[in-house]
Amino acid sequence: MKKLLVLVLALCMLLSVMPALSLAEDYAITLRVEMYDRSIAGFNVEDCWQLHYIQENFGDPNGIKVEWVPASRWSEGEVLSRWLQGGTAPDICMTYGTDLLQQYIDQGGVRPLDELLEEYGQDLTDFLGASVLQYGQFDTGSGLQQYYLPARRIIVATQSMYIREDWLEELGMEVPENVEELHDYLLAAKDANLGGERTIPYSSDLYAADPFYGWIYQMDSFIDYDQITEEDWVAYAEMHYLLPGAKEAIRWMNTFYNEGLVTDYFGIGNSEQTDADRVLGLDGFWVGNWDVAWRMEYMYQQELSKNVEGGKWLACDAFKAVDGPTLHETYTAAGQAIFIPATTDDETAIAAIKYLNWMASPEALYALQNGEMGHTYTTVDDNGIPTDLKNIADVEDAYKIHATDGAPICNGYYYGSDELNYAASANGYPGYTEEVAHSLVVSNTGAYEPITFTRTIQSRVDYGTTISSKEGELLVQAVTCAPDAFDTVWDEYVNAILTSGGQQIIDEQREAYAEGAYRGFYPMAD
Amino acid sequence: MKDVRRQKSRLKFLLQDWRLYSMMLIPIVWYLVFCYKPMYGLIIAFQKYNIFGGIAGSDYIGFENFRFVFEMRDFSIALVNTLWLNFLDLIFGFPMPIILAIMLNEMRLIKLKKMSQTMLYLPHFLSWVIIGGMVLEIFSPTTGLINATLLKTGLVSGNVPFLTDGHLWRFTYVLVGVWQSMGWGTILYLAAITGLDMNLFEAAQIDGANKLQQIWHVTLPGIRSTIVVLLIMNIGRMMSIGFDRPYIIGNTLVQDYCDVISTFVYRAGIINGQVARATAIGMFQSVVGLVLITIANTVSRMFDEQGIW
Repeated sequence: MKKLLVLVLALCMLLSVMPALSLAEDYAITLRVEMYDRSIAGFNVEDCWQLHYIQENFGDPNGIKVEWVPASRWSEGEVLSRWLQGGTAPDICMTYGTDLLQQYIDQGGVRPLDELLEEYGQDLTDFLGASVLQYGQFDTGSGLQQYYLPARRIIVATQSMYIREDWLEELGMEVPENVEELHDYLLAAKDANLGGERTIPYSSDLYAADPFYGWIYQMDSFIDYDQITEEDWVAYAEMHYLLPGAKEAIRWMNTFYNEGLVTDYFGIGNSEQTDADRVLGLDGFWVGNWDVAWRMEYMYQQELSKNVEGGKWLACDAFKAVDGPTLHETYTAAGQAIFIPATTDDETAIAAIKYLNWMASPEALYALQNGEMGHTYTTVDDNGIPTDLKNIADVEDAYKIHATDGAPICNGYYYGSDELNYAASANGYPGYTEEVAHSLVVSNTGAYEPITFTRTIQSRVDYGTTISSKEGELLVQAVTCAPDAFDTVWDEYVNAILTSGGQQIIDEQREAYAEGAYRGFYPMAD
Repeated sequence: MKDVRRQKSRLKFLLQDWRLYSMMLIPIVWYLVFCYKPMYGLIIAFQKYNIFGGIAGSDYIGFENFRFVFEMRDFSIALVNTLWLNFLDLIFGFPMPIILAIMLNEMRLIKLKKMSQTMLYLPHFLSWVIIGGMVLEIFSPTTGLINATLLKTGLVSGNVPFLTDGHLWRFTYVLVGVWQSMGWGTILYLAAITGLDMNLFEAAQIDGANKLQQIWHVTLPGIRSTIVVLLIMNIGRMMSIGFDRPYIIGNTLVQDYCDVISTFVYRAGIINGQVARATAIGMFQSVVGLVLITIANTVSRMFDEQGIW
């Protein structure tokens, strides 16, 4: 009996050790890579086409076992912070939360990449280019170092303004070019009740995470550039509403609101209602991301066409400056951040850079972004660009891919040149290629990149979230107050922002300007 | 000699009912793991916390985190709002379950009583996210149920700003909270009422007491100790406030009324990774809560009521 027990136990031990042994024989290194889990039905990030492709084409030839470690896309920040605190983070991590990442860098949790890139990352460095790489460089006291690799963002355009083309025709009006013309259009649309009894000429909804995001075009058109310097431009980065003249854009909104031209639940944050009103054809004008009117996730235009015959959105810029430049802020050329935690050992860190470097090769990137012909697409055009990329839901499970997550170094489809990339991106909106291309042109006119900093702005860390909630208050209070109270309300809430840490942020950003610790440039510099 | 005997008999009890006592292990372990062990983490409230260094690898900075938080402009607003909303909840929310429990108790049709109870419990199981959606549907301007009805019938000329006027928002907040929790709150009181001696009611009836008098002289005094215990516990919670309810029902227009400590901590501590400061606020809340509950308990004992300890 005893012998039998010993035998069974010995066998058990042998069995449990064997897989480990066999693994160790095949692969010298196991590389763990963070991968967003978007809970897509039928798509298992730990066992999917992209991972198999990587293992076959990169892992096996290099003796590296590649594992993808799922992190929920919607709580990636928390997951990552837990991993880092527990020392269990994957060898390649990625995050959209660059503010938190900067704190991790300051706390010494992120490995500098300069030497690794030089030795093992030539293709990767070339692919990203200096203009993208600079966004991952920070000075923590010993000069600028590359702490993370920003994804290359193919399209940096942010927003467009949308107007109802069919309403303009009905009213016999031209596309408004400035705010006064817009005002006329809004009033006319309201008078004619073009969207029915509940017509909302100017539909607007507060975006609480970044309240002035949807106002940057309008405000920039009203800024008095004679009164500001390059230094001010940097000091007031992300706070353009404090620059001279900017508040006039909001005063216009206040006028619209008091004339009943704006969504009356503005400020409550009822985006479901906004969406419902939009597709029912109640709205006459709104501001949103440059492609959102036609994006498959929202289907605003597609649904509007079903509900309203001839209903059509047209991208425009109704806030052009009357005498002065029209500027459009873009995103930076940097997408999400990819980094290697300090806990990863040297050998694995080399493997990690090799992995990303391999991914930058045209064939690998093409395969990872487009999947396998015959499954995710069936035809390509003369330039080799797939013409019928399927929605992930329509692909067989074994061939499902997620382009941006699987190839995190690139945010947007890459086909070798800007021209091809733009053309390809319009393919993503079947039936609306021209409209989308037009919107991109509108959005890209007068484009400039926002100012960012190469060192931590500590007061941003301390007060940033407070300030952004105060900005929301400033915006909704200033828009919804009585017209003659506008200046008082504006001053009151601006004062609240300045005394809640806003002034410290401005001062510190001004210091950073003096140190030269910033990226970007003043678009009005002579 | 006597002590030894007592000890022996205690041990005997323990041995005799070891199965029951061992069941107590589960809650004891739960408390140790989830309530006592995490207290060690309070140390980071006094540190410049580095998540990679952990508690051992972070520098001690005294009360710096507390000072920083207390000096923040929003903190005092959040503190005052927390007390305000909790106070309103106490005034309006606390008596409701008692009244409701008595009303349920007086219902004679058992089936109707059971049905009402179930329906009253239901809101308690709804997530605040869902309630938030309902609140928007009901209280929104123009499209909300109430405003749409009022406007259509011509009772009002403009929207009633249930969600956008600070004072009215407080009303909405309390109303929704009372609706959500009053049914569930009746459970303890109903149990206490069920435990009352029926002879007392009969005696009161013979003495000629009507229903209201019976409620006043028999039911209420009978559940007085339950009421007091729950009141003390509620007062102890005056400083802490749930996150979901103010966060979801609130909006930017009434920020100065709906920002409470929990939403403040979320914004100024959690989102931007300032865990040490968030911990400092949490510790402050607990300490004040402890003080409040001690005062309430002492006052209650002074009036010859039972305390909770």
